[in-house]
Amino acid sequence: MSTEPRFLIVDDFSTMRRIVRNLLKEIGFSNAEEAEDGVVALNLLRTSKFDFVVSDINMPNMDGFALLKSAKADENLKSIPFLMVTAEAKKEDIVNAAQSGASGYIVKPFTKATLEEKVQKILQKTA
Amino acid sequence: MGHSEGFALQDVAVAGSMDVDLTKQMHADSAADAAAAAAADAPAQEDIYHRIGHLTRTLHDAMRELGYQESLADARDNLPDARDRLAYIARLTGDAAEKVLNSVDRARNVQGEITTRAQGLRDRWAAVAVYTTGSAAAPGAAAERATPAGAALVEETCAFLASLDSQAELTNGILTDIMMAQDFHDLTGQVIRKVVGLATNLEEQLVKLLIDATPQEQRKKVDPGILEGPVVNPENRSDVVSDQAGVDDLLASLGF
Repeated sequence: MSTEPRFLIVDDFSTMRRIVRNLLKEIGFSNAEEAEDGVVALNLLRTSKFDFVVSDINMPNMDGFALLKSAKADENLKSIPFLMVTAEAKKEDIVNAAQSGASGYIVKPFTKATLEEKVQKILQKTA
Repeated sequence: MGHSEGFALQDVAVAGSMDVDLTKQMHADSAADAAAAAAADAPAQEDIYHRIGHLTRTLHDAMRELGYQESLADARDNLPDARDRLAYIARLTGDAAEKVLNSVDRARNVQGEITTRAQGLRDRWAAVAVYTTGSAAAPGAAAERATPAGAALVEETCAFLASLDSQAELTNGILTDIMMAQDFHDLTGQVIRKVVGLATNLEEQLVKLLIDATPQEQRKKVDPGILEGPVVNPENRSDVVSDQAGVDDLLASLGF
């Protein structure tokens, strides 16, 4: 990935989208778009190029799991890494996310250091 | 070997048929037993149903006599209010979080400007320092160009400008902490959403219970459509107004 990766931040709470966007900027990634649910996110993923998705799970219309599974089932999108950032801390959910193809999982509330570590780790793996 | 294998297969087939027959017989026996048992239990079951019906009627009458349907109606009427209050809390905390994030963004911009200007001034003051107090390579060479107080001032100014980067880093860290603290809106919002969902479900159950506990002739009074409470999503409806301006407009159109 020679150019700066383009992020898609998916969360139904605008506050959280702003926080993640600002944190990514602080980490060094200022190229980011936002979506308020899985439906909007999937449309954006299918109509524009993204290199990384940071997604919440519990969202209306289409939740993070459905978005993740839809993306992984799509030949054009399946290589995009997904980092799940969610308040869902159940082991079952974490396992489900991993089995569905997520590259990372962060439980809210989280720190800048945690987000940075996970993002860098995933980017290194996918480079 | 071949003989014994064929034999075995034949045995299996026969044994299979016997199993089927046996199973049929067992089913027939159990059905007969069940029918006999049911016939024997019928009066008992009828009695149980009768008693449950009697209890339900007693409970129903007791609720009506004690005025419980009014309590149910009160509880049901209060739920939309509780829901609205929770939604109000969610909206207010959301607005507060957005305000804080806007302030953080502005503070970062101000901090960035200060840092940029300080960087520009730092180089110029370094030149002043060399001119007035001498350089590290030739200390004291130009010391006579500044009074001791002037030299100390220049030195202190240069040190201050040099420290601004680390100060800015510290301030940015604090601003990040303030920003991260706003994630409470997301977390509390999710909890509120779940509670609102529970309240909605409870409300529906209460309405059903209320209708059941109300005499037939008064049921229209507790019709769910009539008792829908405050309008939660006026923007999606054409039969309600969404704000005071709508109320005023409507009244004006009626000549008030």
